[in-house]
Amino acid sequence: MAPVELKGIVKRFGGVVALDGVDLTLVPGETHALLGENGAGKSTLIRVMTGAIVPDEGSITVGGTPCRFTHPAQASAAGIAAVYQEPMIYPHLSVLENIFAGAEMTGRFGIVRRGAMASVVRPLLEQLDLPASLLVRRMSSLSIGFQQMVLITKALMLNAQVIIFDEPTSILSQAETDRLFVIIERLRRDGRAIVYITHRLDEIRRIASRVTVLTDGRVSGTALTSDLDEAKLLTLMAGKASRDYGKPLRDRAAPAHGKPALRITGLTRAGLYQNVDWDVPAGQVTGVYGLVGSGRSEVALAAFGALRPERGTIALEGRPIAPRDPAEAMRLGIGYLPEDRKLQGIFATKPLEANLTAGTIGRFRARGGRLDFAGLRDEALRLIGHYRIKARDETIGIGTLSGGNQQKALFARWAGQSLKVLILDEPTRGIDIGTKAEIHDFIRDLAAGGLAVVVISSDLPEVLAVSDRIIVMRRGGVIGVAEGAAMNAEAILASAVGADARAA
Amino acid sequence: MSAAVMGAPKVPRLRLPQGREALLLITLAVLVAGIGMFSHGAFWSRINLDNLFVSSAITLIPAIGMTVVMLTGGIDVSTGSMLGLTAAIGGSCFAAGWSLAATVPVFLLAGAGLGLVNAVLIIKGKIPPVIATLGTLSIYRMIVFIVLGSNWITQIPPVLTRVFVVDHVLWLPVVALIALGLVIVASLFLRYFRWGRHVYALGNNEEAARLAGIRPERIKLAAYVMLGLLTGFAALLTLGQSPMVQTSTGSGFVLQVIAAVVLGGTSLSGGRGTMAGTLLGTLVVQVVDDGIVLLHIQPFWNGVALGVIILAAIGLSSRRDAGGM
Repeated sequence: MAPVELKGIVKRFGGVVALDGVDLTLVPGETHALLGENGAGKSTLIRVMTGAIVPDEGSITVGGTPCRFTHPAQASAAGIAAVYQEPMIYPHLSVLENIFAGAEMTGRFGIVRRGAMASVVRPLLEQLDLPASLLVRRMSSLSIGFQQMVLITKALMLNAQVIIFDEPTSILSQAETDRLFVIIERLRRDGRAIVYITHRLDEIRRIASRVTVLTDGRVSGTALTSDLDEAKLLTLMAGKASRDYGKPLRDRAAPAHGKPALRITGLTRAGLYQNVDWDVPAGQVTGVYGLVGSGRSEVALAAFGALRPERGTIALEGRPIAPRDPAEAMRLGIGYLPEDRKLQGIFATKPLEANLTAGTIGRFRARGGRLDFAGLRDEALRLIGHYRIKARDETIGIGTLSGGNQQKALFARWAGQSLKVLILDEPTRGIDIGTKAEIHDFIRDLAAGGLAVVVISSDLPEVLAVSDRIIVMRRGGVIGVAEGAAMNAEAILASAVGADARAA
Repeated sequence: MSAAVMGAPKVPRLRLPQGREALLLITLAVLVAGIGMFSHGAFWSRINLDNLFVSSAITLIPAIGMTVVMLTGGIDVSTGSMLGLTAAIGGSCFAAGWSLAATVPVFLLAGAGLGLVNAVLIIKGKIPPVIATLGTLSIYRMIVFIVLGSNWITQIPPVLTRVFVVDHVLWLPVVALIALGLVIVASLFLRYFRWGRHVYALGNNEEAARLAGIRPERIKLAAYVMLGLLTGFAALLTLGQSPMVQTSTGSGFVLQVIAAVVLGGTSLSGGRGTMAGTLLGTLVVQVVDDGIVLLHIQPFWNGVALGVIILAAIGLSSRRDAGGM
């Protein structure tokens, strides 16, 4: 089988460029690790390879033949299959039917030949050390590790020559992970090309022979794993951060400690985070950096009363608090701008004005308990002006604005309230560079006004740009706090991905 | 399913009733024994049994289509109005003097056509199935009023009753035999044919099915049209059972059909359910109905029983889905 080659792949979603001329070559018998931050374009790239989306520009060749995938079935016919993080399964059907769904073997009159299907798949199961009895089990009765194995079996049944694994170990136990690695290694030795997507540095060194790093939709580097030591790998991953923020943007003298506004001590919730301490002073921006799954948002949700902790204390200005729901947290003076603005933030069908004043509407009361509409409108106009929200007028539906302007509006909603602590979760995800810089300035302004601001982000340059101090989290725990000169991209990245222990 | 026995796995072909189906068989046996005893033998009379079989068949035939629709994750609540409207259309043909042979296709085509309307609303109009068919429920019923005015159609050819209801083959009324045959065909189709398996795949995970190259729209279209066709046939049989068309013909019917399917273990969220379950569910619903008449209980209680059956069946399924049972 010949290599698969992607050349100059470009994909735009509206105004956002998700992939900006990506080249990737997959060689049989090689495990190729794909690295990149959230939003770097990894998942878009997979969807291009599996035919789930059609690229705007660029070419895909399989064994020298140019291919254009407009439907997933074409990609799987060309021998490309993907095993997703959350397995795509048919829970109530048997394993055999999960493997053959949509590709059933049939005899005359379209009668499904279960016996023939079982005999095709049995040697494949053997190859993966799976018992043949698995075939009659109901898919939902299997653990996620086994469900992944079933999907690998399906890829083999389709005779896939390229198998893409999208962060497959993020939901697996250690034993399941070891088993998966053995299988991946075996598939590689059979001459298949493996694409392996991960955030975890130790995994790359364990199974990948080549690494490609994606940054902002471009390939920022490709190298053989054997040519890379830990330091080089980190430089490659941190490439953008060092480039953009090599020199400090503002005065990085360690700030004098203001009085702590929010103090979290020993916060624990099994499976999500353990013994987390956060110290968030007033008048400063505290960055929280960590990868998805590090527990960063869950800790914030605990402070916001949306997700109860099991142990530990949360104190606001020295007084212990235990908010039971977001309404109580807001009364206490804690605000939270959620990560997913479509799902958790905006009222998409409502006008901009209502979205801006949703948090402060209680203040606008006219005589007789009715709302002070003129006051609401003036406040909305003031916020639109102050935060430079680009909209025709205040009555336009917020859903029609660009992502950047939606985010500014949400930001304005929170900034307009009298808060003590404001937590911003991924405040600029999916937003263009210009708006990003504007929002960063707003964040600094709020802190300068005396508010305690927390910025949670997996975008390292962003955290470096706005924070006075940075809390680094990994796998549910705080593993370091950086201030002043210690706020250095490579050091922070190293601790977040877990490289420091090995480098030591 | 012990792993040791499965060393060389034989994919099971015939399954013994288990779980839901066993529970239904026991329920049915208890109901039959109880009603048989307290009705002083009236239950076991030839007339009552025939009546029970005919009613069961008339519910079962659309329930086959409803099972497929619900397996895809949909539902059709307009079935009762659809039955009323096809009865009114076909009845008008009888009233105009058409022969039975000429009118049977009218019933079938009218039913399929109304099913197609539902399918188009749901697939092309992207209206959720409950809402789309709630709309047509009202529209179809009102057209019945418009067609019939204040009249009843009573010119139903007696041959209809004779052929489907009075005549017996092997101790069963012809219509019951037809219904049984359809259940077997549908069951084989769902279990052994590619399209049948695609119905299940679609109901389990529509996105995964689409990515696997299955076309969900086609399967849904076929399911709703098939339900319409079967409902048209049931309308014809209804006229054989009681030879007249009123504006209220078929009202309350959909509740029986849905109760039978849900009681039979078909999941409301799709992807799980069997024809055997639907057959047993239908029999339980009809035996309860019959028992209420035989035991001289006020007929309103039948509606209460249907409601309780639906709620209990769905409650059981939700518990099962949540990991219980």
